[in-house]
Amino acid sequence: MKWHKSWSVIVSLSLVLSVTAACSSKDGNKEGASSSPSSSASVAPSASSESGEASAETTKPEPLGKYPETVTVTEVIGYNPPEDPRTPSGMTPDQNKYLVDLKEMTNIEVKFKWMVPNNQYEQKFSLALASGDLPDIMELDQKNFEKLKNQNMLGDLTEAYEQYASPDLRKYMESDGGFAMKTFSSDGKQLAIPAFEDPFLSTQLLWIRKDWLDTLGMQPPTTMAELDKVAEAFVTQDPDRNNKNDTYGVSLQKELFFWGFDLRGFFNGFGAYPSVGDKQSAWIKGSDGKLAPGLIQPEMKAGLEMLQSWYKRGIINKEFALKDENKAVEDIVGGKVGISYGEWWYPNWPLNSHMDKDPKAEWIALQIPGLDGPGKSLVPKLRAGKVFAVSKDMKHPEAAIKMLNFYIEMGYKKYKDDEKAAKGYVYNWFNPRIYNPADIDNIYTEVNKALDAGQTEITLEDENFSNVDSVFRATKEYLAKDTSRQSLGISWGQYYSRAAKDGGWGTTKKVKESNQFVNNEFYGLPTETIVSKGGQLDKLMQESFTKIIMGASLDEFDKFVASWKSLGGDKIIEEVNAWYDTQAVK
Amino acid sequence: MKKLKRNFPLHFMLWPGVFFTIIYAYGPMAGLVMAFQEFEPLSGFFKSKFIGLDNFKYVFQLPDFNQVLWNTVLIAVCKMILFLLVPLVLALLLNEVTKSWFSRFVQSAVFLPFFLSWTVLGGVVIELFSLNGPVNALVSSLGLEPIMFMLDNSWFRTIIIGSDVWKGMGYNMIIMLAAITGINATLYEAAEVDGAGKWKQMIHITLPGIAPMIIVLAVLGLGGVLNAGFEQILIMYNPTVYEGSDIIDTFVYRLGIFSQQFGPAAAVGLFKSVISLALVSVTYYAAYKYNNYRIF
Repeated sequence: MKWHKSWSVIVSLSLVLSVTAACSSKDGNKEGASSSPSSSASVAPSASSESGEASAETTKPEPLGKYPETVTVTEVIGYNPPEDPRTPSGMTPDQNKYLVDLKEMTNIEVKFKWMVPNNQYEQKFSLALASGDLPDIMELDQKNFEKLKNQNMLGDLTEAYEQYASPDLRKYMESDGGFAMKTFSSDGKQLAIPAFEDPFLSTQLLWIRKDWLDTLGMQPPTTMAELDKVAEAFVTQDPDRNNKNDTYGVSLQKELFFWGFDLRGFFNGFGAYPSVGDKQSAWIKGSDGKLAPGLIQPEMKAGLEMLQSWYKRGIINKEFALKDENKAVEDIVGGKVGISYGEWWYPNWPLNSHMDKDPKAEWIALQIPGLDGPGKSLVPKLRAGKVFAVSKDMKHPEAAIKMLNFYIEMGYKKYKDDEKAAKGYVYNWFNPRIYNPADIDNIYTEVNKALDAGQTEITLEDENFSNVDSVFRATKEYLAKDTSRQSLGISWGQYYSRAAKDGGWGTTKKVKESNQFVNNEFYGLPTETIVSKGGQLDKLMQESFTKIIMGASLDEFDKFVASWKSLGGDKIIEEVNAWYDTQAVK
Repeated sequence: MKKLKRNFPLHFMLWPGVFFTIIYAYGPMAGLVMAFQEFEPLSGFFKSKFIGLDNFKYVFQLPDFNQVLWNTVLIAVCKMILFLLVPLVLALLLNEVTKSWFSRFVQSAVFLPFFLSWTVLGGVVIELFSLNGPVNALVSSLGLEPIMFMLDNSWFRTIIIGSDVWKGMGYNMIIMLAAITGINATLYEAAEVDGAGKWKQMIHITLPGIAPMIIVLAVLGLGGVLNAGFEQILIMYNPTVYEGSDIIDTFVYRLGIFSQQFGPAAAVGLFKSVISLALVSVTYYAAYKYNNYRIF
């Protein structure tokens, strides 16, 4: 009995211990995770604030001036794997070599509160927002910018920008007459620095397999009717000649309006302008001079009807509603699909991987087909997908400006280094970063100029050097079929997206110059109802459209329009038009 | 006092659970105040504006809400019943198996999927039932048209329920088996002497013997009647089957996390808790009344 008792005590004790151990380690982790950022946020700035004040007295503002004492700024990041395969494997954003250089040059140290894969970023950031645990420097979309602005959480960047912005950064921000900067200021306070780009980067193109067209003896399609025939042939006539019925026409995934492999360009061909890609409608000027949401216009119906027939005939994947963008990319790289709507950058990814896998594959860019003759793509008035803002609690807002200066500075020739990727420089893991808004056009012009002049290297002496140089070298290597530095697909991707006259930007440029586009007239910040009802309305759209494509009656569209309007759409139309009447630059 | 001393290890073992509940179940309850506020995350609970029941009004008038509520109840009730029925049948069958290696093998095999996460299993199920998956290969070998299981509302719901029951049935089965083992063996001997066959023994001894355990499981299950399986559905659903599979939890998730409408999301959560509490109380009372069974 005695033995029994002590045994039970031992067992129960060990049980309790193991449970408490498990619990405490869990708690420990949580606390560790939550306390370390807050301590770094509260301790670091206060420690450095003294030094900041001291330095303010002694030195005058320099765009890249070095702080006498380390200034710690916090950031968060959602990241994709590095684009360049030569980057050392297993790297994480906090090991980015750019951060080491930044520390050396300016004595700014970046700490990441958290790092998550890109597709989890939105969610994670919402949670951070909900818990009020914000980093010093934030990359925001317009919706979150609007939210934080309304809650008075953003720091004023006016003075920091005035004093510290480098001439190059100023040049960029003034390149549109200060239009974008003004959009993100309020009551004379600059609340964010917009990373705006050439709006024509959003132009929709039709990417199509030239080698399949040649095999079948068909011409590149210019109208929807021709596209219909080509797409059908891609399904039925075995364009890859492997004697298997394993190809289909047009790539699509479950998000009908997205950043790629979606239907924006398709509908544009019908003169319908449903979306700018994120969860908002595009806005077209109606005959009455008011703005109307493209999403609910009658032109949409014809497009949906064709999609319905495409679905029935197997031109789009029967299970598109289950596929995400990764699956769509898999089909492209696997040579299963011959047509995809998208922007100029496709050759840079994923088409380059396809080319490396199957050297026979030849993708070309076309202006989107329309009802009779080429169609007009939607182009936004302002392309500022993201902005950089600082928390109002940040002690050194100018550090954000210095970091912007730093990234632009790294484009000069003196920082040229062939082994950047291998040394661990990952450009798109560095934030905040702003490009020359005219970057792509500049690359196109400079590279073609150098090619025409038969130059062997780029002689540019400004901050654009590194971008132009890298495309120029890739072009040279692609044309000479030289694969000693990088694979032919990668070289082709850089060349065909940015420099080729019939490539991504080349085709876009033609669209721009021949005025074959329609403007999205709404470029304001999301209105109150868009913010609060947008998610609901988007769900309604996804559900109705997916059903129609999969065979539901076309009358569903009319029902959708009615529900869309009554669930907040009418209010949104009102708000957007109120904005248009008062604030739009016409 | 003596009793307390003797039971001390048991009380001691209780503490981690109590702490856990206080921290993770009672602590967050303070957050329910959000349901009555126009909650601004950065202003916090104290500075956000109180708006009474507006959040509830807003949520209840949303056109999806009824559908969502119906889906939740339908899926959860089906799951609840099957979670009692299937393990019960399994346990009764296993109890009759005389070869112990076989019985143990089946127990392990049935219990195993319980430990797999939906994150993994969801992908497997989607692939299994995809257009080119093995299930459709079977369907077409029978000469039928392939079925798009994951894109058809009624099929999808069936798969959701079926796969969840398949995954979780081992747990209740083990509990019921344990209860069966606890029945006094002399009862069976006496029944045999009286000439009762296996079937009669099962009806008159085994089932009444484990009835209290079934009631406990039912009460516990009813508490979660509005939990139709958030993780599973979130991983497996898609816009085409929103209509048949969007449940309160996924709805709150989209509302709260993606649309950042924290107030309404908290309101739905609170609504769900109140219903659950009412249901548990009723069942608990009923179980006490008719079966004289109580936990506390």
